Amino acid sequence: MTEPSDLERYPTLTEDGRRMLERLREHPHAPIFRNASGNRLTPEDVETVRAFEREVSQAIIGDQREQSSPWLAEYLARVYREVPFYRAMGGAPRRLSDVPCVGRADLAHDVARFVPDSAPIERLINFRTSGTTGHPLLIASHPVVAASYLAFHRRALLRFGVTLRASRGDVGVVLLGYQRKCFTYVSVTPTLDEAGLVKLNLYPEDWRDPEDRRKYLEHLAPEVLAGDPISFVELLKLGVALRPRALLSTSMTLLPALRRELEEWFACSVVDLYSLNEAGPVAAFDPSCGGHVLLQHRLLIEILDATGKPLPRGQRGEVTLTGGFNFCLPLVRYRTGDFASLSLCGTEPVLIELEGRAPVQFRSQAGVWLNNIEVTHALQPFGLRQFQLQQGRDGALRLRVAGLGPELPALRAALLGLFGSEQALTVEELDEPSGKLCQFSSELVP
Amino acid sequence: MEREGCELSRLMRHISETPLEFLQEPRLGQHGTVAVSAVVGDLCRSHGFEPGAAALDAFAIGTPKSDRNRLRVSLLLTWVLGESWFHATDLREAPLLPLLLQGARELSEYAAAEKLVSDPERREELARFCLARLGFRPQGETRAQAEDRLTSLSAAERARVLHASREAEERARAVREALVRQAAEESADKYTRE
Repeated sequence: MTEPSDLERYPTLTEDGRRMLERLREHPHAPIFRNASGNRLTPEDVETVRAFEREVSQAIIGDQREQSSPWLAEYLARVYREVPFYRAMGGAPRRLSDVPCVGRADLAHDVARFVPDSAPIERLINFRTSGTTGHPLLIASHPVVAASYLAFHRRALLRFGVTLRASRGDVGVVLLGYQRKCFTYVSVTPTLDEAGLVKLNLYPEDWRDPEDRRKYLEHLAPEVLAGDPISFVELLKLGVALRPRALLSTSMTLLPALRRELEEWFACSVVDLYSLNEAGPVAAFDPSCGGHVLLQHRLLIEILDATGKPLPRGQRGEVTLTGGFNFCLPLVRYRTGDFASLSLCGTEPVLIELEGRAPVQFRSQAGVWLNNIEVTHALQPFGLRQFQLQQGRDGALRLRVAGLGPELPALRAALLGLFGSEQALTVEELDEPSGKLCQFSSELVP
Repeated sequence: MEREGCELSRLMRHISETPLEFLQEPRLGQHGTVAVSAVVGDLCRSHGFEPGAAALDAFAIGTPKSDRNRLRVSLLLTWVLGESWFHATDLREAPLLPLLLQGARELSEYAAAEKLVSDPERREELARFCLARLGFRPQGETRAQAEDRLTSLSAAERARVLHASREAEERARAVREALVRQAAEESADKYTRE
């Protein structure tokens, strides 16, 4: 497979954009960028994304009742016409509750059955997700979908009085990771007049000198910092002198203490986003509403009980999604594995007590703390359908795998490679769990 | 088969009453007597749309050896579609020409035109095939019942289902391949990562 060219990665790149890429890559304190990526947006795509941003900024989010979602009937008809998984079921049901629920396991089994006939294969991109429910997933997406995330970030930030201003010559966002292995690259954002975008890893091995992390970030002075709580903890340790206009936190539960610490250090709003690879940014935590306020106007949220029955407002159950903006993977009654109740804050729907994904850290034999994403990476080559890793108080690991096969010795070796060759480890068969699987857990506290 | 159509027995009766004129030889060059393209044109106009000369050409060209039965089935279909229920139904958006052209081609590969009239099972096949290709199911049947019955009766429908299934599998394979390409993995600019 040939490497994509810059023209394919950045079809609308101007001389200013090229200079921005050069600056980001070649700064003396820049990290070792391990990968390459681009926005892949054509001029028509850029217009589409801009129009979508206008639509999102003006949209009113409905009260999440089927009858107050005027787009739903046409959406279901299209899904049943174009998506192989649903087409095989016959005609679209009149009521949403007549549609069977699906979950990560269904997508993981064969995501291609959920990609509509109208999705352009030649422009498909993917997002890999390790997830917390034990089903590694490959999500079908499109450059326009990826670029459309920003529309919802803008909407979320506006709640906190922040309007993005980054433009030509500025760095719009730095996406932070803190993992032994992390996809890192530089790019530009055409809808922000080619403001820079950097995805970097704070793990020291990705830098020529650990001190470069602080110097490079201070040089970039990004308008927004995005990351997960683990990378933000690491960021705080660097003592960077930055004044971003906002922090966007995703992937894991952002605990209140860390939020306060970040707000104090950076003197800006810290927005905790509930965002899924399958659906993009779904909601943003707003303390004044006591929960996560919904962001998408063409996404219907149901709260379901274990049998798939919709629960009345205020009752806690599984967050289930229908709709969304990823036209390569239209969702219908998609059970997220996340739990909350639905309420109203004025007229706005809010997810209350959303049970997100708690970060889990494991201790290696040498006493190094490893986060769950590194375990996922180590196990990724085995294509496991489901697995669960637990660490006991004595440090011993227990890996449970659905469908243990002949790769057991290699699986053991991969984990021991990460944790140390003398690490106590048992590997067992994992029966199909009936409820939500807690994929990672540890009785040790860093 | 989203919409409910007419009673099956009504259509089958109509087929059993096919006049001999609709079973005569189609005109192809010096052969045959009936100008199928003219009959198709009349039928389209009676349903409120003008098919255009280019579309009608397909009903006038070919050789007796390879196209005779296809055109005879097209002609027979014009008789079926002349049933009063079809005339009382708005078919302006329905795929009338594809039924008369592609549908006739598929049916003609498995049955002679006379057989579609004289054999009771083939009559039922023809009636169901007509309704299905225009998006209807027989009155009183669910979509699943109608699909099952048509597939069990019709070799042409079985071939279509098989073809559609192969096409779907081919696309699914292409989607899987596209998703695991390195290019798909790296083109992933988002302002946040989950």
